[in-house]
Amino acid sequence: MKRTVKCQTREAGFLLSFYAMASPCEVLVDCENEQHAKQLGQIAAFEAWRIEDKYSRYQQKSICGQLNLNAGKPCKIDQETYLLLKFSDECFMMSDQLFDITSGVLRKAWRFDGSDNIPSQTQIKALLPFIGWQKTTLTEHSFLMKKGMEIDFGGLGKEYAVDRALQLINEQTECPVLINFGGDLAANKARKDQQNKQLSQPWQVGVDHPSFDKQQVIVSMTSGAVATSGDANRYLLKNGKRYSHILNVKTGWPVEKPPSAITVAAPQCIQAGFLSTLALLQGENAEQFLTEQEIKFWAIR
Amino acid sequence: MQLNKPQNFTTPLAKQSKTQTSNNRALKGLLTTAACALLGVNSNSEANTNVLADWKFDTALMFYNEPSRVSASEAIIAGTKTFNNDQILNLKVTVDALTGASANGAVTQPNPQTFTSPSGEKNYQVKANTTPLDNTFKDFRLQANAQWTQPLGNDYTWSVGSNLSKEYDYLSVGANTNIAKDFNKKNTTLSAGLALNYDVINPVGGIAKPLTPMLYPNQFARSVSSDDNEADSNNKITIADSDHKTTADLLFGVTQVINRRMIMQFNYSLSQVDGYLTDPYKFLSRVNNTGLTQQYLYENRPNSRTKHAFFAQTKYHLNNSIIDASYRYMTDDWHINSHTVDLHYRINLSKGSYIEPHVRYYTQTAADFYQPFIQEEAVLPEFASADYRVGKMDAYTLGVKYGMPVTSGQSMAFRVEYYHQTPKNAGFTQPGVLAKQNIYENIDAVIAQVSYSF
Repeated sequence: MKRTVKCQTREAGFLLSFYAMASPCEVLVDCENEQHAKQLGQIAAFEAWRIEDKYSRYQQKSICGQLNLNAGKPCKIDQETYLLLKFSDECFMMSDQLFDITSGVLRKAWRFDGSDNIPSQTQIKALLPFIGWQKTTLTEHSFLMKKGMEIDFGGLGKEYAVDRALQLINEQTECPVLINFGGDLAANKARKDQQNKQLSQPWQVGVDHPSFDKQQVIVSMTSGAVATSGDANRYLLKNGKRYSHILNVKTGWPVEKPPSAITVAAPQCIQAGFLSTLALLQGENAEQFLTEQEIKFWAIR
Repeated sequence: MQLNKPQNFTTPLAKQSKTQTSNNRALKGLLTTAACALLGVNSNSEANTNVLADWKFDTALMFYNEPSRVSASEAIIAGTKTFNNDQILNLKVTVDALTGASANGAVTQPNPQTFTSPSGEKNYQVKANTTPLDNTFKDFRLQANAQWTQPLGNDYTWSVGSNLSKEYDYLSVGANTNIAKDFNKKNTTLSAGLALNYDVINPVGGIAKPLTPMLYPNQFARSVSSDDNEADSNNKITIADSDHKTTADLLFGVTQVINRRMIMQFNYSLSQVDGYLTDPYKFLSRVNNTGLTQQYLYENRPNSRTKHAFFAQTKYHLNNSIIDASYRYMTDDWHINSHTVDLHYRINLSKGSYIEPHVRYYTQTAADFYQPFIQEEAVLPEFASADYRVGKMDAYTLGVKYGMPVTSGQSMAFRVEYYHQTPKNAGFTQPGVLAKQNIYENIDAVIAQVSYSF
């Protein structure tokens, strides 16, 4: 995919769009200066591409690729990687060891291609020794995991990019900006009402919920972030039973009855992303979990 | 469909929820700290998660003054809360206080006139050559409205509401519902609504027998002996203490986005009112062929009214201003036809402030039972009213509004308007002394409003 930023005029400002992290990405800027809007769009795009290059597990040269390749050996890490791993560590603790960036190894057994290929317990059991964040060692300058283990920032990378991009944009502008990287969103402030400039109005965003019937949730937000986690079209069906791609790392088996998608609101996108994934991991109790946490969410079953 | 989980009996509920709360705080707190470490920002405030605006309030104070007539002040507070999934709750309370004098329907005379107040307890005098006004007019009104609006599926919006209004002699309760469907990528909206109202009027001194004379205290004894109807210690022969009316309104509307700059709306409404539609405080002068008043008769109006109203509005956004123009045509089976043209032009100034001039023109024909007075020798009609509000008239309003932001999310606006009403002669000849009287007196009013939204 070519790395270019497209600029379109829209009511109240500009839409900057590009493609990063396997998703269409958009930056909405409410301002009258096209040059300024383009500049903000580029800041967001460069940050998204930088994070993609640095942390994509599909790129062997990325830090993620290198850490996975060198599993079994202690690896030197930079400050940003340390902070991301540290955040993953906190997520692991906060989730009672359910949110685990080493869980990707299970993909070797589970291929969520819509087929009925359910792996055997033996296959899964063989993978479990290579899963478990508690088996890794993280210091400020190094990271070590067992040979055969893998890490994957897939669950946090895009949300992190949203937060970082908005941070960089906020250093450059006072204009209302909304960032949408493939459905993970953050806004810095309310937009101005077009009819009545003294009033502010929320951003109205349609979040596609990747469920069967393509339901859309309309989220109105002034500032803060929203992230969505879902079943996408990734599941297996066997004998009428649906196996979701949300895997419980402790058992290696899919979580029972998670919502097909859940959208969560939080101050930072990375928080929203973690909470939406954690909610899915609660399976049937996802909504109850978020309600008890007093967190705003929109769930689709 | 969510099923309730069985309660855990071993843990008392109170204790369970307390533990739950402290756990919640722990998770939110930990997550805040973790994100803060990662992003190097202080996100330690739930205020940052301003995903849905909380309650939003609009308040307004309005003053209305017709020099030498009515003056009214009104205070409004309205709160709007938007919930998850775009559900909106709107609550509004309005308080009005009215004092002053309103035209009682009688015609001007070359000599002073004496009227009995509605309660029958005292008299009031009106000077020669002036429009008779009832200066005992004093009222306080409390209104409350609640409206709930929510999306139904992707394309429908449903709304339901209720309203209540109370004055010392009046009670109105109502309910309404409305459904709107979006088409054509939300560029077209069709809506249909129904509103029902039930009003009870409990006039001071009761409800007069239609077209019977206003009595003076010294006439009271005579009327009792000459009439079978109940006449209590007031200024009229009454037929009831109170009466009521019902109103049903049906509304159909189309809103169409024409292009990025222009939106149009068309509405049709049908309104059916049944019951007591007479103004219990209004008189008609009964004059002899020299134009001198002999009696004051209580007015009487038909007990049903069917109105059709057609409304068209367009809003056009220019680069720095908005034109909002509307036209309304109303016709009813009382044969009142009215036209209203309303024009607002909003000019955005710097830093979010704006100025908005306003012009409105209104004209109506008289109801078929309207007559400014009754001639003594004429046969009494079934229905008659001299109320200028059902007579022929023109009116215009000129106004300007200035709005400005105060701080982020808060704004103030000031509005001043001048209203001028010209009642017209709908083809009645004025006999004798009336020929020299101005029985269609103009009304001027000034309206000032301050509003504050936060």
